[in-house]
Amino acid sequence: MEHHSSIRPARAQPPFSSHLFWKGLLAGRTVSELVLVYGLLAIVLVETLYPLLWVLSGSLKTKEEVIANVWGLPSGFAWQNYTEAWRVAGIGARILNSVVVTATALALLLLVATPAAYALSRLRFRGRNVILALVVAAMLIPPQVMAIPLFMTARDLGLVNSRIGIAIIHAASNLPLSIFILRSFFLSLPAELEDAARIDGASRLQILGKVMLPLIRPGLALVTIFGFIEIWNDFFLAFLLLRDPALQTIPLGLVAFFQQYGSMWNLYFAALAMTTLPVIIVFVLMQKQFIAGLTAGAVKS
Amino acid sequence: MLTRITRIIRRDDDATVAAFMLAPAAVLFSLFFLWPFLRGLWISLTRWDGFSAPVFIGVANYAKLLGDRLFLGALENNLIFVVLILLLKNVLGLGLAILLDRAIFLRGPIRAAVFIPVTLSFAATGLLWSWIYNPVFGLLNAALDGLGLSALKLSWLGDADIALYSIIVVDVWKWLGFHAVIYLAGLQTIPDELYEAARIDGAGAVKRFRHITLPLMMPVVLINIILGLSGAFVRNFDIVQVLTQGGPNHATEVVMTYMVKTAFQDGNMGYASAMGYALFLIVALSCVLLLGLMRRSKVEM
Repeated sequence: MEHHSSIRPARAQPPFSSHLFWKGLLAGRTVSELVLVYGLLAIVLVETLYPLLWVLSGSLKTKEEVIANVWGLPSGFAWQNYTEAWRVAGIGARILNSVVVTATALALLLLVATPAAYALSRLRFRGRNVILALVVAAMLIPPQVMAIPLFMTARDLGLVNSRIGIAIIHAASNLPLSIFILRSFFLSLPAELEDAARIDGASRLQILGKVMLPLIRPGLALVTIFGFIEIWNDFFLAFLLLRDPALQTIPLGLVAFFQQYGSMWNLYFAALAMTTLPVIIVFVLMQKQFIAGLTAGAVKS
Repeated sequence: MLTRITRIIRRDDDATVAAFMLAPAAVLFSLFFLWPFLRGLWISLTRWDGFSAPVFIGVANYAKLLGDRLFLGALENNLIFVVLILLLKNVLGLGLAILLDRAIFLRGPIRAAVFIPVTLSFAATGLLWSWIYNPVFGLLNAALDGLGLSALKLSWLGDADIALYSIIVVDVWKWLGFHAVIYLAGLQTIPDELYEAARIDGAGAVKRFRHITLPLMMPVVLINIILGLSGAFVRNFDIVQVLTQGGPNHATEVVMTYMVKTAFQDGNMGYASAMGYALFLIVALSCVLLLGLMRRSKVEM
């Protein structure tokens, strides 16, 4: 993949051995240097992880204990917070809405972006460079600045208060970057591959489906992960387009729950833990792909 | 008719295939990107409540922006946001990357841990921090009490003088891991031999950083700044909306929140659209300016 070549590690990682490991860890380091490095790292870890653990521990406290015992561990396990938050905040419906919106948007995005990226990288036709320039220009325009006309267009087309409607708009706003990423994957495949298939009598569509797609799977995964994070976490578009509470996605529903009810702090903690932990667990399991997906936007230039 | 269509589909020349492959993307892109962009330009030249017939008023909306104290205040907040966020994210991100680049114990898990906030939605991050800042059961004031620093306790989001800075801290917290990972990828392309040679020549840690790390990292710094720049300008709606909704008394208003209020509370679509394009113009100009500055500083080195 061409745009990753610049960040390939130049240093070879030595095979793991505990002797070398400790030597490497301590080599040429004074004690004060080690204290400084690990001290700073400890601070970073605490400020990153402690707030998250705090939510987890708060979600198991009773309403009174949340205020009486702010940063300690819970004295018992108030599991009923979870069942009650699930019911009161309507979390099941919110998760369903988020799944419908995200899955529809991603399916549409891949279906539309893949052939377009193929055409822009592998086919020769007039106007190709103009279209490419348009794609790059669109990547530089943050869609948020045209929120008002986008809302008006969605309203005219009957796409306000529609999960499919917001999914279509998500797919459209992720389109330029996705085409750009997929195109670079197509470009990295050798031309001989396609020529051989052509000689065997395969049509362009067959080549795309049977020869190319399996080979650009990492690119499709990258687009999926990048799009997933954007769409699953989106607040702004949902805030504009999903006015009906029954259609709210998780981020919108969480904020509405928090602003609507009084001081049900323990339930807020439980609602946040329930909706956030699955994403963190998925991230920890697939962190390599996630980090690559999220930094793809950075490396694209 | 049908035979003609099948004949066209059977044609396998590049231009025809490309047209078919690009058509879905072209439809999505035109409807939800190109058309709203052009339509918004038109709307910004009118007085329009979103329902009755728009009245063309030329550039009056743009002229009005220059005298609107609330807009200028929001723009000033935006600029404070941009400058502080770029500074903090890059200095802290590079610092964290340098820490992580060392042969430290548990580097993989630590890198994953600092990346976790990046995967959270702005809604979740905002809610979490609105509780951390909460005067009743908030983590921050409780921690200050615990450290015997009760005098420093503040109403973090309620005090007009500091609310903006409290929000900036949240944004930096969320994105620090992202910038650190990008810097880490850059640091790993610097060959060890360079540092080795400098060490033999007697260069200390500070000199090595100034003369090797920093110059070689300039392209990565540029990527990080450009990425953070448009983000700091336009992607702050969610976090401000969740934490303060622009309050207290517009102290944390940014252009995006003011734009949404103008459109959907005051029903002034033309004026709101003009804000969007003015912001876009400012982002584009800042990018160009920054790229120019960067290019010049590179020549000097």
